[in-house]
Amino acid sequence: MTTKRMELVCPAGTPATLRAAVQAGADSIYCGFRDETNARNFPGLNFSRDELAEGVRFAHDHGSKVLVAINTFARVDDVHIWKKAADMAAESGADAIIAADFAVLDHVARNHGQIRLHLSVQAAAATPEAIGFYAAQFGIRRVVLPRVLSLQEIAALNRAIDVETEAFVFGGLCVMIEGRCYLSSYATGKSPNLNGVCSPPEMVSYDEGPSGTTTRLSGFTIDRYGRGEPVGYPTLCKGKFKAGDKTSHLFEDPVSLNAGGMIAGLKAAGVTALKIEGRQRGKGYVSEVVRAFRKAVDAVEKGGESVDIDRLLAGQSEGARQTAGAYEKKWR
Amino acid sequence: MRPQNAEPMLPGFIRHLFPTVAGLPAGPLLTLSLRSLARRRPGLFERLGEYRSACFGIDPVDLAFAFRVVPDGQRSSVRVVSKDGTAGSDVLIRGPLLTLLSLLDGTLDGDAMFFGRIISISGRTEAVLALRNTIEDAELRPSDLLGLHGILARCVDTGVLGALGAVRRMADNSPSEAQKA
Repeated sequence: MTTKRMELVCPAGTPATLRAAVQAGADSIYCGFRDETNARNFPGLNFSRDELAEGVRFAHDHGSKVLVAINTFARVDDVHIWKKAADMAAESGADAIIAADFAVLDHVARNHGQIRLHLSVQAAAATPEAIGFYAAQFGIRRVVLPRVLSLQEIAALNRAIDVETEAFVFGGLCVMIEGRCYLSSYATGKSPNLNGVCSPPEMVSYDEGPSGTTTRLSGFTIDRYGRGEPVGYPTLCKGKFKAGDKTSHLFEDPVSLNAGGMIAGLKAAGVTALKIEGRQRGKGYVSEVVRAFRKAVDAVEKGGESVDIDRLLAGQSEGARQTAGAYEKKWR
Repeated sequence: MRPQNAEPMLPGFIRHLFPTVAGLPAGPLLTLSLRSLARRRPGLFERLGEYRSACFGIDPVDLAFAFRVVPDGQRSSVRVVSKDGTAGSDVLIRGPLLTLLSLLDGTLDGDAMFFGRIISISGRTEAVLALRNTIEDAELRPSDLLGLHGILARCVDTGVLGALGAVRRMADNSPSEAQKA
């Protein structure tokens, strides 16, 4: 078990949300630039160079850190966009860059040795060998774990590596291995890996009809909801499809991860940092979720029981449902 | 406890105070407010990017009228229209007035309200996201819309937000239309 206090890593899609996360008790805030260099490239979201510098100043003044996600994969002939983003992050005084692409990792390792490198979940590194390779080649200090590992697997991994691990504890879930999902590309020609968008919003439509709402992605109907029925994100992996004579959420139910009851287990498994997903979410979500997890982490650190976080956060969950995901994996 | 997808509707007597005709002056007043805000905080509209010229239909389901808003900086416009008058908007956002106001001041999370079907959207989803993110970052208070500063601004914010809080509490304690049905 790690004796160090666990770090609570929280999302921010705008400067106002960054301030809200800091004030709600985040130890670290992760954010990205307003372009395709990060995996949440949505209209109106993210930071300019000046906003990031100001956000770093605000966070540092309040004892928090800022981690900059430059975690999409660079394109041939356009690598300079990703390198420039890394340069701007380093100049802003940010505490770490979260990256997955070899080109970005290599550029930061060679040119910005003063800034920590964290391996993004987009790299899907889940074995001691893979993580050891990134540590040896680029000097990564932390790996964000793919959301496919059980608690036992995380504990075994931590015993075999000597870099920090960061585990998701709340928010949206990917059913596919991060960085290798092509569902969005198949339907829309754009993907989170290259363009920073899963289900680009310009290709999503919600059509209201007499019996409810139909969700379409690039013209494909992916779900229909009756009136008042909770909905999820408009991604193919959470769509409802007919196979044989049965209609169901074939890949994944629209649910949110909530590992609030597993904080002590994650600490015992050697996890350094707990990550909340949701840079696309608003201040209301960030404030509420961060505050609840701050309370829960502090309770565990003091040796007490975790608070009833499931009930506290039910209203913020996709599809109004929650799961412990792979941490309680019962399949293989 | 209120069910998650129950709508905190305006109390009936408040709804009756605002028939369509009572809302008409709100259009020019809100237009002036938005344009004045754009003069004072020009960077505020930057996040909207290409969507600043989009037409947003805003339909508070517990009011007798709706709004057509073009948030184009100093060329912004707000029109009060009938419920049918939102047709042709690039985007239509529907929900209880108190919820829509809570999204404006960042008290509530838009995705959570959408997941719970308390608000609904149709039209250009990318424009809705741009508007949501712009509003989130703007941290608007009533005094910003009125162009007030200093002590007066603080008094107005306290008064307006206090009144809204009181209406929310009344709404929480009164059965919604959905619950009555």
